[in-house]
Amino acid sequence: MTDLSPGWRFWMPRQGKSCVFWTRTPRGDVPALPLQVEPQATIAEIKNLFTKTHPQWYPARQSLRLDPKGKSLKDEDILQKLPVGTTATLYFRDLGAQISWVTVFLTEYAGPLFIYLLFYFRVPFLYGHKYDFTSSRHSVVHLACICHSFHYVKRLLETLFVHRFSHGTMPLRNIFKNCTYYWGFAAWMAYYINHPLYTPPTYGAQQVKLALAIFVICQLGNFSIHMALRDLRPAGSKTRKIPYPTKNPFTWLFLLVSCPNYTYEVGSWIGFAIMTQCLPVALFSLVGFTQMTIWAKGKHRSYLKEFRDYPPLRMPIVPFLL
Amino acid sequence: MAALWAVSGLRPRPGPASPWSLPPPPRPAKSSLWCSRTESELRVLDMAASAVATAASKGNGGGGGRSGPSEGSSARKKKFPGPLATAYLVIYNVVMTAGWLVIAVGLVRAYLAKGSYHSLYYSIEKPLKFFQTGALLEILHCAIGIVPSSVVLTSFQVMSRVFLIWAVTHSVKEVQTEDSVLLFVTAWTITEIIRYSFYTFSLLNHLPYLIKWARYTLFIVLYPMGVSGELLTIYAALPFVRQAGLYSISLPNKYNFSFDYYAFLILIMISYIPLFPQLYFHMIHQRRKVLSHTEEHKKFE
Repeated sequence: MTDLSPGWRFWMPRQGKSCVFWTRTPRGDVPALPLQVEPQATIAEIKNLFTKTHPQWYPARQSLRLDPKGKSLKDEDILQKLPVGTTATLYFRDLGAQISWVTVFLTEYAGPLFIYLLFYFRVPFLYGHKYDFTSSRHSVVHLACICHSFHYVKRLLETLFVHRFSHGTMPLRNIFKNCTYYWGFAAWMAYYINHPLYTPPTYGAQQVKLALAIFVICQLGNFSIHMALRDLRPAGSKTRKIPYPTKNPFTWLFLLVSCPNYTYEVGSWIGFAIMTQCLPVALFSLVGFTQMTIWAKGKHRSYLKEFRDYPPLRMPIVPFLL
Repeated sequence: MAALWAVSGLRPRPGPASPWSLPPPPRPAKSSLWCSRTESELRVLDMAASAVATAASKGNGGGGGRSGPSEGSSARKKKFPGPLATAYLVIYNVVMTAGWLVIAVGLVRAYLAKGSYHSLYYSIEKPLKFFQTGALLEILHCAIGIVPSSVVLTSFQVMSRVFLIWAVTHSVKEVQTEDSVLLFVTAWTITEIIRYSFYTFSLLNHLPYLIKWARYTLFIVLYPMGVSGELLTIYAALPFVRQAGLYSISLPNKYNFSFDYYAFLILIMISYIPLFPQLYFHMIHQRRKVLSHTEEHKKFE
């Protein structure tokens, strides 16, 4: 009744470069096919070798660790530098089918872009037949479509050209979860905003102008932060550094907040909610804010853990408050 | 997530000159990580499994809560609730047991007085509302950590009960005379009496086997009974909701929002289809683990 997945062991004799891999099974220890490995090998190389003998577990799916309940070893770690003696015991865990972050992001952002436009153009079967392919008479509805579409086009372009991901992959089931969330909410919002019985904002053009200003500022801010984060990290590397404000005024929010990209993102959606005066949009903003707060707190915590000299004034997502 | 290994089938090649003839791997020191549980650990697991107030493991519905070894180990990692919290929890569970007993007695007395089992809801309406709503405290218990259960799971279970009491039975007066109401009220009453007494005894470290057996066995009948009662009640409420436009809002309105309670109730009913079998079979699985555990346990004694 062990709650451990059986792991394989890995021996590294002090003077040799040859290593033997053992697998642990309920019947006792059995060696796997012996492999030659340098003591200076990185975990990534070991994973590749492992895939050769076990092709169903490609490297992205492997989690190797020194302690069955400990943290996963990074690909860049060198075997010799790890806290092991002549005998290194590595435990393997299957992370399940993986999918690349880029794929997930592109799919989850392309959906809302496309779905919103279906509702905007009032494609048949969404509203009553007499409304098919009609257009709203409210200017705010057209503006909302432009803003929403711009937002997701921006996200797609950032995924392709701006972001530098720490991890290559995530578990496959995430794509279903994420797409349901994004596509579902997009459809729900778009339905009401583009509805023939849509009611424009109570305070008219004033409200729309204010909301548009908030939206544009936050979009620019969000983009500036993404660019600043990209410049922190050279291409292909996975280094982590403390982000600092640059000459761009939008990045000055780094003085107060660890994750200003999330702050600006919430700001954009609040602006969009005010612009459309639509409750589903407000609910989407709230849910998004909750999720981003959780992420921001996690990120803030890891910054604090990793960097001794982390600026103390910064809060995770909302200046001074949260 | 943890993959089970296929043995490659190789054995160490013999021959002293071979570079592969390393000494066999040292057997790891006997520790809880590797070998089957030792005596004391079995006891801790048993206690942890029973003390876990997974609301989802109400006899009415087993939850996705994990029991057995993993809960045992996590219970061992966390400290058990301190004496004040334990005292409070004992009082809470005793009060709830008493409350549901009041409901049970109320039902029996009303049945004897009326001579029929129809429309018994009215005689226990107030205590039912009070004590079922009181179960919301269990979410708080999980949130502050005195009960080692998942907040999400507990909320889900308690809210579904509260939803049925207030948003269906209380709100749609016409269903209060339905027999399906008696069906789920009876199922809930028996379940909750057993469940709360189970927790009370567990907290006092003195769990009679009968209560444990009852908790993990009676659900086999009570859970489907409760679910049927609930579904039939919601179904009975549908035409009245439609007629009155209850809790629904339609376009156009200032906030560009609409909600159709009728459709919502239908969605709720549909959601039982994936959820019920999962919870039910999870409880059956738990039953096998917990009750066979006790068998082993008794053998050692």
